[in-house]
Amino acid sequence: MGDMKYILRFLGIVLMVEGVLMLSCLVPALHFDDGTAGSIALSGAFTVTVGLWLRVTFGKARVLRARRMAYLLVVLMWVVLALFGMLPFLTTGTLTGVEDALFESMSGITSTGATVFSAVEWLPASVLFWRSMTQWFGGFGIVLLVLAVVPSLGINKYSLYTAEASGADNTGKQSATMGATVRQTLGVYVLLTGVFVWLLYKSGMQVWDAVNITFTNISSGGFSIYNNSLERLTHGQQYIVAAAMLLSGVNFAMLYNLLTFRWDRLRHKVEQLRFYLLVAVVCSLFVVVSLVVKMGYGVGDALRCGVVQTVSVLTTTGSLVADTSGWWVPVTFLYVVLSMCGGMAGSTTGGLKAMRVLILVRHVSKTLRDRLHPRAVSPVRLNGTPVRPELATNVMVCFMVFVMVCFVGIMLLMVCGINATESIGAVVACMTGYGPGLGTSGGFGCYAHFTLSAKLVCSLLMLMGRLECLTVVILFTPAFFKMKIEK
Amino acid sequence: MHSRIHTFQLFNPWLWRVVGALMLYLAGALLVAVGVSLYYGDGMQFALLFSAAVVLMAGLFLRNMVGWRRRKAAGVGGEGLFDFQLSLSGIEGVESYWLTVCVWTVLPVVGALPYLFTGVSTSVTDAVFESVSGFTTTGSTTFARPECLPVSMLVYRAMTQWVGGLGLLLLAVALLRRVGMGAGSLYEAEFSGTQQRRLHPRLARSVRRMWMAYGLMTVLMAVVLWVQGVGVVDAVCTACSTVSTGGFMTHGVGSELAAGSSGVMATLTLFMLLSGMNVAVLYRVLTLRWRGLWREGELRMYVLLYVLAVAVCTAALVVAGNGWEESVRYGVFHIAATMSTCGFYTPAPQRWPVVVGVLTFALLVTGAMSGSTGGGMKLRRVMIIMKYIANYFTRMLHPNVVFRVKVNGQVVENDYINKVFAFVFLYIVFIVAGGFVLTLCGCSIPDAVCLAAANVSNLGPSPLINELGGSLDYALLPDVAKWVLALLMIAGRVELFALVAVLSPSYYRKLRIKN
Repeated sequence: MGDMKYILRFLGIVLMVEGVLMLSCLVPALHFDDGTAGSIALSGAFTVTVGLWLRVTFGKARVLRARRMAYLLVVLMWVVLALFGMLPFLTTGTLTGVEDALFESMSGITSTGATVFSAVEWLPASVLFWRSMTQWFGGFGIVLLVLAVVPSLGINKYSLYTAEASGADNTGKQSATMGATVRQTLGVYVLLTGVFVWLLYKSGMQVWDAVNITFTNISSGGFSIYNNSLERLTHGQQYIVAAAMLLSGVNFAMLYNLLTFRWDRLRHKVEQLRFYLLVAVVCSLFVVVSLVVKMGYGVGDALRCGVVQTVSVLTTTGSLVADTSGWWVPVTFLYVVLSMCGGMAGSTTGGLKAMRVLILVRHVSKTLRDRLHPRAVSPVRLNGTPVRPELATNVMVCFMVFVMVCFVGIMLLMVCGINATESIGAVVACMTGYGPGLGTSGGFGCYAHFTLSAKLVCSLLMLMGRLECLTVVILFTPAFFKMKIEK
Repeated sequence: MHSRIHTFQLFNPWLWRVVGALMLYLAGALLVAVGVSLYYGDGMQFALLFSAAVVLMAGLFLRNMVGWRRRKAAGVGGEGLFDFQLSLSGIEGVESYWLTVCVWTVLPVVGALPYLFTGVSTSVTDAVFESVSGFTTTGSTTFARPECLPVSMLVYRAMTQWVGGLGLLLLAVALLRRVGMGAGSLYEAEFSGTQQRRLHPRLARSVRRMWMAYGLMTVLMAVVLWVQGVGVVDAVCTACSTVSTGGFMTHGVGSELAAGSSGVMATLTLFMLLSGMNVAVLYRVLTLRWRGLWREGELRMYVLLYVLAVAVCTAALVVAGNGWEESVRYGVFHIAATMSTCGFYTPAPQRWPVVVGVLTFALLVTGAMSGSTGGGMKLRRVMIIMKYIANYFTRMLHPNVVFRVKVNGQVVENDYINKVFAFVFLYIVFIVAGGFVLTLCGCSIPDAVCLAAANVSNLGPSPLINELGGSLDYALLPDVAKWVLALLMIAGRVELFALVAVLSPSYYRKLRIKN
């Protein structure tokens, strides 16, 4: 049971961090005097207390022995975060249903951006800030955050890290120690946040708005403090937000190397970056052209809406520059596929990630090549070096499980009484972390009309999508409960 | 070694020779239709005769004229005009990809001529769509009312399915004598590397046995239907469409089904299930060699999946408030039609649970057994992937364990597993890409995806048909959509790789060696 104690201790630390962040919502609560200070203080204090209690009670556990427990730990962490994240919604009375609160909280923690609020402008400032805050720290990955704050955790940290970034290789790892990697990455994240808050402020926005918008977009989350998301912003501000989203889809280690002039290291990931940007450009072009031809936009508007929205989809942010629910069907379909693609591995975006897509495509072309030239040895290459065969199959499995989970999710939602189009939209939006679905839940709409069961299914899908399926699915396999392997 | 393998030759004489020879057989089929037309007096004889003549001329031209000089130089060109001896030895290795694609595009397109000449289809698009749907045994049709078709065309339509069922390439192997070295790769191409066991060490004999089993089952089914009181033409046509897992419905059988005739329904269900089986397995079933049959993993999966799916479907229908009898009847028939990718359609019960639609989608994508006449991804591949993923999860927990995927007790090589993964990925890409183009033509997203999946899996009717209240009528789609769907059908029938290979630049490039 030593491992269980370790997990509880770890959860304690995580909860303490979450509680402190919750207490930071007191600042807007008091500043805007929206009358929620008491509730927020209560939620934060409760969370911190529970965390502290766990941390103190199970303080002796130092080592995580069983590998399976690492998976359990990661999943539990996100579940507990989401559960406690419900408190501000419930105590302030902005949401009364537990399923609504869970949906909203999970959507925040997983930086999805799907919301049950049909309008958000009436919400108290503290709750708005809590939504932005959950996305900001959820987007970066609370695992990394905790590892940075508590560098002396004393376990096999590496196994934790691989549990979260299952399927991909260790894209973030570039320093000898894990702690250094995390600190560098966190540094870049904070720096980017600061820069974009400043840019938005300079472009004529209030600090409050700038902070919230930056928090939700740099984390590729997508919550907004306005009913109509980015539509209200000036054109220049929209382009600034687009830049933030685009950067949030770039591998953070790469950004760090870029900023610290270690350009020789960039080539390890340059193909992924090229692919990511290429997809962004090509899809933007298609969208811009169809907006002009099919929807009657002016060229300037089409360029702005097309580019900003496509970047928002590709990085699975989900900020909306216009009400996309009425857009031409092929564009909508393209967006569904595009959000599955996602940004680069090691960024805040969801979806499959550019690296996996690249490997998938190259694996198929390798298979063809093998058939045409049976005797040639031609491995899948990435950035000029052969990819380990295990990594390729790894990616394949990840993709298959992703597709299967999507399919099962669509089936469940349809059983819950959601129509086909909306089920597809909601499942893809939740799995990839995009946010807005199709139909009523798409565009400026919301998920309020979903039934209780549908909301629970969506919450689970968001969790699965954020942890890249395998980590969650493995908890439901018989292998997880078997201690010994059959011969 | 021949250097030809890496170079592209559109006018490879050997290739066009096979295509031409198959066209001669198509002309023969048309002559049969002429006979039917004369017997029933539906007035189509001249149109059909004319099409037969055109096909015959074209076939003779392709068979004998294209590249005859080169053939002569190679010393194999001495055959006479009506000499059916033909060598396939000029087609080696990867050229079978081109052959596959040529056969599966040229013949359906030429086979569209009778639809045009007889005037049953009004546009080239409709005619080609119908013909491709026939040859690829998809069963998507632009004729919502088959009773309006002349008898001869019904028979012709069913014949295209019958021939397409076991595969045009296997037809070539079976009919063309003196099949040489190339035949092996044709056989491989038809089953696109699902590693089928042969029924006989000699390939040609093995293939002939397959056709025998196939023909026997067709005759059997036609007789059973006829005994049950179905008209001769209806019985024969339906037998051809069922055994090939095509799914073109005739009016007679359709109305029997609609009227709820249990006998006809049971016959169709049974034969659909049989035709979704591997032909080699079927041969063993028909020749009463049942020992060890159950050890065939894929067969077991097929049967168990069927039973499970019927149970789910029936339960869902009963829960939705339909009667027991109706639910069971519908479930048994509908799941058989889907899993074999036959795609026969009966009107659904009044209360329609969406689960059945989703279940249908899943089953049509996974498809029938490998080496069968059915379509889809094939259960063998699904089985391999499932086993691999299950192993993968164990390996995530125990990284040092060595696991192998086994099918029928034999280890599956990693290379092969990777190919299967690539295939499934391509399959999904085809469905998504096809769906995207269909949305350009004005379909809604679920509709587009379902149509694409139903046609790339060679099923026919869309699984969402009941929910959307749509009809089986593909005639309403815009022309572009029909061409896309026809392409998807061909892609699905040749199991993607051949089509993707000839479309990919690396087919025409010499291999670059990187250091």
